[in-house]
Amino acid sequence: MRGYMGKILVVDLTAGTCEVEPVPDSVYEKVLSGVGLGAWYLTKNIPAGADPLGPLNILGFTSGLLTGTGSVMTGRWMVVCKSPLTGGWGDSNCGGNLSPAIKQCGVDAIFIRGQASEPVYLYVDNKGAEIRPAEKYWGLDAIEAEKALIHDNWNKKKPAAAVIGPAGEKLSLISGISNDLGRYAARSGVGAVMGSKKLKGIALAGTKLVKAHDVDGLKALSKEYANKIRKANAPGILKGALMPVLGKVMGSMKSVSPIDGMMTSMLLKKWGSIMNNTMSVKNGDAPFKNWGGSDKDYGRKYYKSLNPDKFIAREEQKYHCYSCIVGCGGICKIGDLKDGRYPHTHKPEYETAMCFGGLLMNRDTDSIFYINEVCNRAGLDTISVGGTVAFAIECYENGILTETDTGGLKLSWGKASEIVALVEKIAARELGIGDLLADGVKKAAEKIGRGSEKFAIHAGGQELPMHDPKIDPMLGTTYSTDPTPGRHTTSGGLYYTTSSLWEKVSWLPPFRKYSKSEEYEPTEVETMKNVAYTAFKMIVDGTGGCYYAMLMGVRHFKIFEFLNCATGWNKSPDEYIEIGRRMQTLRQQFNAKQKVDMASFKMHDRAIGIPPLEKGHNKGLSLKIDEHIRLYRKCWGWDEETGYPLESTLEEMGINGLLNEGVLNG
Amino acid sequence: MVKEKKIPLVDYKLCMACRVCITACPFSCLEADKTDIDSYRKAYPALVRPETCTGCGICAKSCPIDVIIMVS
Repeated sequence: MRGYMGKILVVDLTAGTCEVEPVPDSVYEKVLSGVGLGAWYLTKNIPAGADPLGPLNILGFTSGLLTGTGSVMTGRWMVVCKSPLTGGWGDSNCGGNLSPAIKQCGVDAIFIRGQASEPVYLYVDNKGAEIRPAEKYWGLDAIEAEKALIHDNWNKKKPAAAVIGPAGEKLSLISGISNDLGRYAARSGVGAVMGSKKLKGIALAGTKLVKAHDVDGLKALSKEYANKIRKANAPGILKGALMPVLGKVMGSMKSVSPIDGMMTSMLLKKWGSIMNNTMSVKNGDAPFKNWGGSDKDYGRKYYKSLNPDKFIAREEQKYHCYSCIVGCGGICKIGDLKDGRYPHTHKPEYETAMCFGGLLMNRDTDSIFYINEVCNRAGLDTISVGGTVAFAIECYENGILTETDTGGLKLSWGKASEIVALVEKIAARELGIGDLLADGVKKAAEKIGRGSEKFAIHAGGQELPMHDPKIDPMLGTTYSTDPTPGRHTTSGGLYYTTSSLWEKVSWLPPFRKYSKSEEYEPTEVETMKNVAYTAFKMIVDGTGGCYYAMLMGVRHFKIFEFLNCATGWNKSPDEYIEIGRRMQTLRQQFNAKQKVDMASFKMHDRAIGIPPLEKGHNKGLSLKIDEHIRLYRKCWGWDEETGYPLESTLEEMGINGLLNEGVLNG
Repeated sequence: MVKEKKIPLVDYKLCMACRVCITACPFSCLEADKTDIDSYRKAYPALVRPETCTGCGICAKSCPIDVIIMVS
């Protein structure tokens, strides 16, 4: 009765076997569940040098330790694998409804080994697991495949399903895994790994109960949190047109003060992540024109197309993931676009809006909605697709790609019809330009050559998210050093200001107002904030916690208290942060075992500010990234040059012992 | 003596539309189907398959904020 199920399901598609294996309690106590359990299993069992698209890679679907226990905002699932995009640790985090479904099957995670010779899907219910033929689903888009899998496997309990689209089947390295008709675990190329195993989907119809140590305590915490969220409503006067003004005010601040994270909840309830759209245009957060432009290039006549009110005008109803009390998602009608090809799409997220907005100098809002659904159906990561289209446009403008190469498309900034056509070619992996771009910018630049790599904006092979680290050095360090590079959710300076972590973690200094310029100096104080926040994020990813709940801070989202109620461990926040540090170091140890060249993870010069922009909000800004990286590694106890965890750190954190626990299968 | 069947009653004034009850139901009797409750157009749980409801009360027990009661 500790919130977790204490077992994992191991499926071997080569052998055609499904086995349930127990996991020692000590593993959960050292790395929680979710991404920690995944890092433990994969680091133990994937041999060094394994081909990410070969049978030795392992694909894991993991739930969260708190999922289903009575806690709220803790219903996310995580996919883990060796990433074919970066060659190192891969994970991707998703909402929807799969996380509780995993636990209802009596396990905390499902690990897929081997490769099937023909398309298959996995069905699991209370009686057990079965590998079934999937020829009839192979080739279907992700939305239709999920509907069909659910329809065909609905007996007593409606299954939850996760699937890949045609992009994953065709091993596109920028493909993801979908559930709930378009909620994506999109990053790290996880869809290609699933496709390489010829696994079209998983359908889970278990009904087992999740048992926790103190359910009344969990519910009391959930009620307290729900009462705050219920009251957090944006005033009617707050319209989308005001968000650029708010962004400008934020962007002009020279000092940093703590922010109460509950402010974000009212904006999320009203708009969702698109609350950031125009605010980010004006506060320096958003990149433009493939990271080479500035907000001066994307003036009002452009950015008004990203007004969040314009986005929710298409919203028919709000969408909640499992156990979410905010509801930042939405189901939008798009039946008027492209002859009514698709009736609905999930509301585009900020990342999607900006990738197909400012990054491409696009001001056609409808095209963003349409592209969102094209990507959702194909099973593509919108961040990577947007970055790849930007790369292609810049190559075209510089004569590196021609009309012959693009199949007749005349690519240029902001030309929505050509952008849509190019996305459709990538989605279909159409011979020629579609195939060339379907593996992201790094692979495309390697194939094209001729100087195209300078337009390939990525970190370690992963296209960068829509947050410019030039205004947030902590974010830039994360982009360049995290075991999964180029990711915006792991840590950042702004996130830290809303976390209220310093109220719980004894070794963090009290928050004092300070000058923004201090963040640009690589100091141990600033770096330890990054360490603490990253460890916090690991805890969130071990519990199934929501990133937006995390942004509301531990003052409101009482994750440490939730954990103690669920497990009965009675640990202090300091002890949980140590668990988070162990989880992050374990992810990094995966990369060490795989001998990943961590130097390749450093983000592209344009994101660093080399050369600095000559105009706009971020004019003149440049990061001392090498110094930040070295200090970050030092503070984690990792080798400052290679980035690999030091032997002394592995011993101190008990990671060597941990990797010998449980059943060895490798 | 035949035991009277009970069905879930959701207090929509307090429900947060989190869908935990829908997932917990072993017979999928509930769906996020009720959209006329608030100005946000949130989809709240509704008993859409009452004939398959056994009155087990798992939905009520699973609710993180205790806004479901079982009634005759």
